[in-house]
Amino acid sequence: MARKTRSSRLSRREFLKLSTFGGLGLIAAACTAPQTPAPATVAPKTEAKPAATTAPAAPVPTSAPAAKAPAAQSPGSNLVGKLEGPQVIRDASKMPATFKEAPMLADKVKAGQLPAVKDRLPSEPMVVQPLSEVGKYGGTWRRGFTGPADAENVNRILSADKPLFWDFTGNEIRPSLARDWKVSDDGKTITLYLRKGAKWSDGKPFTADDWMFWYEDIYGDKEITPTPHPDMLVNGKPGVMKKVDDYTVVFEFPEANYLFEDLLAGSTFIGGGQSTRQSTGNAGGGYAPAHYLKQFHAKYAGKDKVDAQAKEAKFDSWVAYFKNRIDYGLNPDLPTMGPWKTAQARNTPTFVLERNPYFWAVDTEGNQLPYIDKLQLTLAENLENLNLKAIAGEYDWQERHTDMQKLPVFIENQQKGGYTVRLDPALNGSDSTLHVSQTYEADPEIAKWLRKKEFRQALSMGINRDQLNETFWLGTGKPGNGLPDPSMPFSPGAEWNDKYAKYDAAAANALLDKIGLDKKDGEGFRLRTDGKGKLTLELITVGAQFVPYTKHAEMIREQWRKIGIDAVVKELERSLAFQRSKNNENQIMFWANDGSEFIYLFPRHALPVDPAECHMGQAIADWYASGGKQGKEPQDADLKQALQLFSSAGGKKREERVKIAQDIWKIYAENLWSIGTVGRSPAFMGVRIVKNTMGNVPARQLNAQHGRTPNASHPETLYFKS
Amino acid sequence: MAQSVPAIPTDPDHLVEDIATDAEERVSVATQWQLMWWRFKQHRLGVFSGVVIVIFYLVVVFADLLAYVDPAQSEALRSLIAPQPIHWFDNGQFRPHVYALAGKRDPLTFKRVYEPDPERKIPITLFARGFEYKLLGMVPTDVHLIGLAGAPPEEGLYLLGTDLQGRDMWSRLMLGTRTSLTIGLLGVAISLFLGVLLGGLSGLYGGWVDTLIQRIIEITRSIPTIPLWMGLAAAVPNSWNVTQIYFSITIIISLIGWTELGRVVRGRFLSLREEDFVLAAELAGASQWRIIFRHMVPSFLSHIIAATTLALPAMIISETALSFLGLGLRPPAVSWGVLLQDAQNVQSLAISPWLLAAAIPVIIIILAFNFLGDGLRDAADPYGV
Repeated sequence: MARKTRSSRLSRREFLKLSTFGGLGLIAAACTAPQTPAPATVAPKTEAKPAATTAPAAPVPTSAPAAKAPAAQSPGSNLVGKLEGPQVIRDASKMPATFKEAPMLADKVKAGQLPAVKDRLPSEPMVVQPLSEVGKYGGTWRRGFTGPADAENVNRILSADKPLFWDFTGNEIRPSLARDWKVSDDGKTITLYLRKGAKWSDGKPFTADDWMFWYEDIYGDKEITPTPHPDMLVNGKPGVMKKVDDYTVVFEFPEANYLFEDLLAGSTFIGGGQSTRQSTGNAGGGYAPAHYLKQFHAKYAGKDKVDAQAKEAKFDSWVAYFKNRIDYGLNPDLPTMGPWKTAQARNTPTFVLERNPYFWAVDTEGNQLPYIDKLQLTLAENLENLNLKAIAGEYDWQERHTDMQKLPVFIENQQKGGYTVRLDPALNGSDSTLHVSQTYEADPEIAKWLRKKEFRQALSMGINRDQLNETFWLGTGKPGNGLPDPSMPFSPGAEWNDKYAKYDAAAANALLDKIGLDKKDGEGFRLRTDGKGKLTLELITVGAQFVPYTKHAEMIREQWRKIGIDAVVKELERSLAFQRSKNNENQIMFWANDGSEFIYLFPRHALPVDPAECHMGQAIADWYASGGKQGKEPQDADLKQALQLFSSAGGKKREERVKIAQDIWKIYAENLWSIGTVGRSPAFMGVRIVKNTMGNVPARQLNAQHGRTPNASHPETLYFKS
Repeated sequence: MAQSVPAIPTDPDHLVEDIATDAEERVSVATQWQLMWWRFKQHRLGVFSGVVIVIFYLVVVFADLLAYVDPAQSEALRSLIAPQPIHWFDNGQFRPHVYALAGKRDPLTFKRVYEPDPERKIPITLFARGFEYKLLGMVPTDVHLIGLAGAPPEEGLYLLGTDLQGRDMWSRLMLGTRTSLTIGLLGVAISLFLGVLLGGLSGLYGGWVDTLIQRIIEITRSIPTIPLWMGLAAAVPNSWNVTQIYFSITIIISLIGWTELGRVVRGRFLSLREEDFVLAAELAGASQWRIIFRHMVPSFLSHIIAATTLALPAMIISETALSFLGLGLRPPAVSWGVLLQDAQNVQSLAISPWLLAAAIPVIIIILAFNFLGDGLRDAADPYGV
């Protein structure tokens, strides 16, 4: 007995001892292993000028960053190449005379399972001049995605199914699904010319009837689309869609709507394309496969039948089932117009798409696109996992979810992973933006200050953007107040980007003192004017996004101590944070202002105009979108003026619209209803990891909402060199 | 009755006992606490662990003194500095110093690189001035155990390097130790209270009270702890401030931690209830409270202490695990779990492994508590072999 007890005690001790050594050994291993010398050559493809290596460095890092001049060459400039991309050829004389196809399709044609390539293509296919060379057929494009909610991952790659599109510069409209378009002189009629003989992915003809089916039975169906969409209105008055002939569709508006062609080319409700606008519960996009969808629509199949179908498929209503059937990622049977079509659905661990044999585009030598046979997206349990796979070289082209903060690791493993890192800086002014609610009401004292221009200006000047940029953007971003990149035509000029965006605690303090927040508590925090203690702002953030908003907010909270402003940071789950914005409950919400570089196409992050998403004041967006019937009219004269300018722009021609946008941005820079921090950076879909085996890869691609990153690079022209 | 008692015991243990020495004499008259102390002293690892634990709790008490930089002070231009070597001798003389660092971002690798400048030596001093705090929560001061002569410490001293935001890891680790270890103590105190109360009731009264409490314990213990913690921690309102979250997390982890102690106490009560000395006290007319606190509790106190010591590491691990998962303490609170959560990514492992430093004290303190508990448990039963 005694011996037995002793031996068991001994073993416990032994175990503890062993685990001590084991644990310490593990730590030692963890600490030493990664310090092995990194591969010395990083070999940037473009002209690298490592000038900064010789730049005089600061003696001791001090807490006064203002003293540090930025390095002569901003970091990452060697990874940012020349903006380039494929071109759509519109010259009829350059149209290829004969057509070729992928071997896998040729086999099917021989076996009689598929019509010949000539018969599958429209009489006037889209001709794309690949970026570098005509590619080779074959291969599987491997990517990572984060689950069924990550629909945008592939939506963007299929965005050729938009009626019109932007070229790789983001400034010129090009035809895409539509062969051509025309805006009447008075701006009231916009005509779309479809490609004769274009076919759905099941081989059925694609005609104006498919547009009319969408307009009358999806957009026009009160159950599917309860409220009209602003895209289809001009000054609050609805436009109509009409069929002229099988291949011509017109949009007619009661007033001039020159903006409408931009909307048809943008990432919008009407112009966003089938894949994007009919997935994840949406029902926009302008056209839909009538021949297939009628069986699921109450009007054609009968309400009883569709209700029974929905019930059998375990959906609440026929509308819910219909919205599931129009989602290309969830319904592999759905006929589509994109370059690839779903083979295995998005709600599985591997989302697989195969080439669409009826895709209506060819290269300059008449090879039917796309070059790549298959898209295969593997589910990553979390973002770390996805990034690890990217580092290991398991993805062929991944620009989505790649983490800016891991850039040194990406670069270090370039050779081992057989890939090249490229940076695509975006054009919007701020990746991490403090949207200040103008309709928050719960705390009248806080609400009062949030609506005061000087208060927002002081908050902005209290943010040390250089610190944020260096820490979280590795110095690749550009500090600013949120205005778009000066290269955009809508920018009022580079000097406007810095307005109230330079760190100046003294000026901020003086401004806060001046507006009546001059009393402070023992810790130096400013007191509320209603005598209820210190003024504390609430910063709402969402985790697991492209950038770490919570960490940004915490740093800003620390910085604001210097201007006597107290804040608490609350990280909420995304849908809860958005719901609170909808309920006007958030004081300050952190989100990007992506899309704001093209304010007319995606204004929601720059102005409170889109009820679908608005962090600057939902009630104002409701008021604006409903033409004053719902929501709340803004009391802020400047905001009202900005909204008036915005709504007037639709009826103006391009030059005038650009001018109006510049005026809006000037008002914005003065008022800062949303306070930008650091932007114009590659943090959002701009860290591009591409295998060296891939061809036609642009050095830099358009990274913008309206360019549907990476779609301005025409993914259908990418190919595998070996 | 009339059976003969063997004159010479055949059991070898008894043979040893026969050869009585002075020491044995001493043992037979020593109090229980003396016996325990003697026994515990023999457990060298236990004693050593005790010392380690005392040192850790000294860190808890003097965390601000040991830290030399405000743990919240960030500076991008000091982001991710590696732990810095201390040079002890200068020209043969003992004069500890560090080299000044010059930092910049390498435009090719994108890492921040820091070059030490051997020409610029900054001496390390004791009792230097730094950020202001209240020593022991009372005495306002700005003296810190270590610092730099001729430069603010945040501009040159990086014993354990800095994190992404350029905050000093050593100072953060000191304050993180305070948070993590006090949460452990508080949690155990609450567990102990609940455990002794409910376990005692259960063991003392038996019957349906016992059944009810034991079933509650069983049900609680049958639920996997991490998901249960996660559920409870997720129920903590986001709007609570750091202190409120701190206490709620403590309560959450002790709500599960008490079950083990409850079991131990109940078992002790059950066995002691039947002992002769309890019966004797009862017959002598002692009140129930007197029996419990005068007669029963002292005889199992040592076990409680051992069990408590073994419960502490579980508490500390719980806090660390919860915070690591992002469900426990949240920034700006600093704890080991919060520190480790910051290191929860590929780049930390690949380019800044020193961010994992908080894992080392976790391992040391957990092992120390286990060894100490081991020693105490042996000591609590001084007559056992």
